[in-house]
Amino acid sequence: MKIFSKNHVSILIGIIGFIIPFFLSIPGLSEAGHVALSIFIIAAIFWMFEPVPIYATSIMVILLQVFFLSKQGVLFPEATAEYTPNGYTDFIGTLANPIIILFLGGFVLADAAVKYDLDKNLTRILLKPFGSKPKFIILGLMVVTGLLSAFMSNTATTAMMMTVILPIIAKTEVSDPLRIGLALSIPFAANIGGIATPIGTPPNAVVIGALSNQGIDIAFTEWMILAVPLVIVVLFVTWLVLLWMFKPETDSIPMDLKGTFQKNSSAILVYLVFGATVILWVTESLHGIGSSIIALIPVTILALTGILDKDGIRQLPWEVLWLVAGGISLGISMEGTGLAEWIITNIEWSIFSPIFMIIIFSLVAIVMSNFLSNTVSATLLIPLAVSLATSGVAGEGFSLVLISLVIGVSASLAMMLPISTPPNAIAISTGTLKTKHMTRAGLVIGLFGLIMVTLYALFYWPLILN
Amino acid sequence: MDHKIYILIVEDELEVMDALVKDLENFEAFFPVETANDTREAQEVIDYIIDHGHRIGLILCDHVLPGKNGVDLLIDLQSNKDTIKTKKVLVTGQAGHEDTILAINKAKLDHYISKPWTEKGLQEVVRNQLTDYVIENEKNLLSYMQILDAEKLSEAMRTKKMTDH
Repeated sequence: MKIFSKNHVSILIGIIGFIIPFFLSIPGLSEAGHVALSIFIIAAIFWMFEPVPIYATSIMVILLQVFFLSKQGVLFPEATAEYTPNGYTDFIGTLANPIIILFLGGFVLADAAVKYDLDKNLTRILLKPFGSKPKFIILGLMVVTGLLSAFMSNTATTAMMMTVILPIIAKTEVSDPLRIGLALSIPFAANIGGIATPIGTPPNAVVIGALSNQGIDIAFTEWMILAVPLVIVVLFVTWLVLLWMFKPETDSIPMDLKGTFQKNSSAILVYLVFGATVILWVTESLHGIGSSIIALIPVTILALTGILDKDGIRQLPWEVLWLVAGGISLGISMEGTGLAEWIITNIEWSIFSPIFMIIIFSLVAIVMSNFLSNTVSATLLIPLAVSLATSGVAGEGFSLVLISLVIGVSASLAMMLPISTPPNAIAISTGTLKTKHMTRAGLVIGLFGLIMVTLYALFYWPLILN
Repeated sequence: MDHKIYILIVEDELEVMDALVKDLENFEAFFPVETANDTREAQEVIDYIIDHGHRIGLILCDHVLPGKNGVDLLIDLQSNKDTIKTKKVLVTGQAGHEDTILAINKAKLDHYISKPWTEKGLQEVVRNQLTDYVIENEKNLLSYMQILDAEKLSEAMRTKKMTDH
C-alpha cells in the first residue's frame, strides 16, 4: 500500500524547508531574513510541486507573514536595528493593491463581454477582411486572438477561438498540416497577446505590483508603448514560423461565422462601457487618471445596472487575485528583511555585463514558466531583480524597470509544453496535434522571443524609460 | 481523474447487445461500457459502480425486458440522487404511447432511439448526451475534447470564466 503520495512528500519537504532556517544562523542575513527565507522556501516548494493549489499557497504566504513578520505578529513586535516590521495591514492590504483592482475591473468587463457575446461578434467582424486564403486566415485568427487576450484572460480567449477553428479543422483533410498550424496559432497568439496590456495576464500584474512597491508607477499607456511593439513582432514571426513548419495544403478555407450583435439595452450598455473603459485605459497618459481608478467605473456601472449581479460577483476568478496578492506580499518581506539582497550579494554581479544579465533573467524566466505557472515564475524572480537594482550591486545603469519588464514579458513567452500555459493545454486536448509539434514550434518562438526581449531591453525600452 | 464515467447498456437479446457494444467501442477508452440483461442486474451493476466512487454518465435501456420494464428502471434512477444526472436513453421498438409519456414525464428521458438504429445515428446521440453530461457535471472538460463534441465543450469553457495562472 502506498502510504506517501507525491503530494505528501512535497508538503513534508516544504514544511522541513520552512523549519530549517529557524535553527540556522546564516552570516550576513538578519534574523527577520531567516524567517522570510523560511516563508520563501515553503512557498517556492508548494508553488513548484503544487501539492496544494497555487492560490492556496498564496493565501498561506500572507498568513505566515502576518504571523511571523508583522508588527502584530509573534516575533517582531518592536523594530530592531536590522528590521522594521511592517504593520499586518501592509500584507493583507495587497489584496486591495491598485493592480488587483485593475484586474478586478478587467474580469468584470470580460465577463460582461462573454455574457453578451461581444467577444464572438468582434471576432466575426474582425476576421472578415482576412479573406479565405489559409495563411491570411491564420494571420487573422492570431491578430484577433492577440487583441482579445490583451483585455480578456488568455485562457477564455483560447476557449472562445476554439469554437471558431474546430469546425474549420473538422472540414480539413486529416493529412493537411494546416490543422496543426491552426490549432497552435490560437494558444500561441493568446500567450503573446497577454503581454500587450497591464491586464493582459497575471505576470504583468506581478511586475507592476512590485514596481509600485518601489514607488514606480507604470501607466497603462506606458506599458502598452513598451510592450505592444514587441507583441507585434513576436506575433508576426510566430505566424511565419507556423506557416513554415506546418505549410497548409488546401488553398481556401470556408469561413462562415454566424451571429448578430445583441441589441437589447443591456447589451448596448455593455458595448459602451467596454469601449469607453478600454479607451480611457489606453489614453491614461493623456488624461492622467490612473487605470485602477478607471477600472472602478465599469464595475460600478455594471453593478448599478444589475448586469453584474450577485451570482456574477460570486463567480469572479478571485483565486487569481489571491495568487497575485500573495506574490506581491511575499515581495514586500523579501526586500524588507534583506533576504533578496542577501541572495543576490552572494553572486559577484559586477563582473557580468548588462546584456548578459538581461539574457540570463529572460532565459531563466522562460525556462521556469515552461514548467511552472507564469505568475509563479514572475513572483519568484521579481524580488531578486528588484534587490539587484535597488542595492546597487549590479552597478550603474542596471534599470529596475527594465529588468522587471524582461522577467514579466519572458514569463509569457513560454509555450513549449501542454503544461506551460492553460491555452496550450486546451490546444493539445483537441487531439489535433502532438506534443512534439508544440515543443518544436514553442522552442523556436521561445528562442526568438529571448532574442527580441534582449534587443528591446538594450535598444528600445531605454529610449522610452529615460 | 479519480472517478470514471460509465456507459450502461440494458438489453436482453444477446445479438442486439453485441451490436450496441460494437457500435460504442470508440467510446470505451474514455467511458467504460458495462452491460446488464435485465433491470435487476442493471441495478446491481449501478450499485457496484456507484459504491466504487464512479458515475453512470449514460444509460441505454431497452423497454421490454424480463421482469421489471426499462421505463420503470429509468424512473427509479431519476429518483435516486446518484443517478438523477445520468443521461437516460430508451433504445426500443416496442415502448407504447403511455410508457413513453411516463418515461418523459417521470424519468426525464433525454432521448428516444427507435430500433433499428444506424451506427452513425447512435454514436451521434451518445456523443451529444455524454457531452451534455460532462458539461453539467465535470470540472475538467479538457480530457473529453478528443472524444466528445469539442466545439460545444470549448463554448462551455468560454462561459465558465476560465483564467490564466
